[in-house]
Amino acid sequence: MNGKELAMEKNKEGGFQAPGTFVIVMFFFVWFVVIYFVNWAMLSGTWAIR
Amino acid sequence: MASITATQERNFRTCPVTSLKVHLPAQKLVIANAVAAVVFLMIGGILALLIALTRWEAVHLLPADLYYRFLTVHGTVMLVFWIVFFEVAGLYFGGAVLLNARLVKPGLGWLAFLLMMAGAVMTVATIFAGKADVMFTAYIPMEAHPAFYLGVILFAVGALLAVGLFMVTIVVAKMEKRFTGSVPLVTYGLVAAAVIAVFTLLSGAITFIPAFLWSIGVIEHFDPLTYRILFWGFGHPAQQINLAAMIAVWYALATLTTGAKPINEKLTRLAFLAYILFINLGSIHHLLVDPGLSTTNRIFNTSYFMYLAVLASMIHAFSIPAGIEVAQRAKGYSKGLFQWLVKAPWKEPGFSALVVSMVIFGFVGGTSGVIQGAAQINLIAHNTLRIPGHFHATVVAGTTLAFMGLAYYLIPLMTQKQLVGRKWASMQPYIYGGGMLLVALGMMWAGIQGVPRRTWDIAASGSTLGAPAYEGSGVTLAVMGVGAVIAVLGGAMFIAIAVSTLLFGKKQQA
Repeated sequence: MNGKELAMEKNKEGGFQAPGTFVIVMFFFVWFVVIYFVNWAMLSGTWAIR
Repeated sequence: MASITATQERNFRTCPVTSLKVHLPAQKLVIANAVAAVVFLMIGGILALLIALTRWEAVHLLPADLYYRFLTVHGTVMLVFWIVFFEVAGLYFGGAVLLNARLVKPGLGWLAFLLMMAGAVMTVATIFAGKADVMFTAYIPMEAHPAFYLGVILFAVGALLAVGLFMVTIVVAKMEKRFTGSVPLVTYGLVAAAVIAVFTLLSGAITFIPAFLWSIGVIEHFDPLTYRILFWGFGHPAQQINLAAMIAVWYALATLTTGAKPINEKLTRLAFLAYILFINLGSIHHLLVDPGLSTTNRIFNTSYFMYLAVLASMIHAFSIPAGIEVAQRAKGYSKGLFQWLVKAPWKEPGFSALVVSMVIFGFVGGTSGVIQGAAQINLIAHNTLRIPGHFHATVVAGTTLAFMGLAYYLIPLMTQKQLVGRKWASMQPYIYGGGMLLVALGMMWAGIQGVPRRTWDIAASGSTLGAPAYEGSGVTLAVMGVGAVIAVLGGAMFIAIAVSTLLFGKKQQA
């Protein structure tokens, strides 16, 4: 069975097959956004706009 | 269908564990290239320790000339020789062994190996002799001895030959009906790496051949910006080869350790294709502070094209853990959100190498790369330790650790010997990964404090102008130094296990 068939076999009602991974990926996305924002915030403090 | 002769069939053995039909000439080439890879990893690792203990200001181990010399060797050996030798071993494994096929013309494989070895030895010897203190990038107008450029050219020709042999092997395997349908996903990923390798190595040729001719006086002038554009046409795609190969290895390790399969293989294969199409255009992020290139050119390439390659990485970043989760849930580990992860085989070195490699590559290396690749951020990040911090998280904690994880399966399979030091192998990915995390974070934070890269003495002692204070860098460089000691210990463990298995491992039944 390929991965998709395995997933469907495990949960015949359908639905999301990798909820744990989804949470991890969302955590990664939030991490990315925060790090991105922090870097740009630091850059904005480097040169003052007068 | 191409006919298979009886002589060709006699050159196989069947692995009792995997049932793979192993072509014996391919096996010898896999071992030879893997051994060469580990030798260069060892050289690069020893130098890594010496360099880190020099950048750690409180220790400041090496004198200036040796620092720049060893940094040149370290960069060249680690970014090119260790990784490409291992990848060539992987190509022969993925193109022949995984397909139950024969390696076409093994003699050419040995010629490729000899060219690569001769080139690598020539380059390293020239640098150690003090004739090429030019860093891995060898930016014109810094001039190295002609043997440096010639060595790199020879290595590239050998690697190109190996890549060609891999591709022909797959075509012949298909004609001989060694496999049906499409190639397995791992081999597909290696094909993507090989395609990128072709235009990478050709870019290398059009960079280093004129540089060689300039070093022997045939060409009078080689424009530095032209060199840099051509060099990064080789340099960054070379890292994308590593990326495609690493991701192929991730899928292999996920399957080997948990039985995982991608939940959407078509999308996964499309993601590999995206790497081929978009990465070269994104390579311009290495030239963001160079004069002579328009801002439009720089921002367009480092935005849209790089993001399409990053999108491919996002697909794999979801696909691999999702495949593991589905496989683990199918085994009954389906309580709550994370039982599948808690009950995963964390003591299995392939699994721990996979996870540590993915986490550090993604959370630290990948994010920092995308951020530093924006023109505005790059203006303050370029030439600081932030840049080595990024690529140590990707190439070292990511690719090198993934390759180490695969080696724990490849070595017993190819040598037919039981792994020596299995208990140490279980711990090694955590030690190596933990050390490299400290190295990457220490470097990045020091870079944020302004500490430059490729600089022996950041205090600029003896200069009349002095240097900035780089406040806090005493701590961050110490974090980097301590991390390097731990990581080198982890690297030494891997080399000890690999060498011990090769020399003293108990022979398994053929």
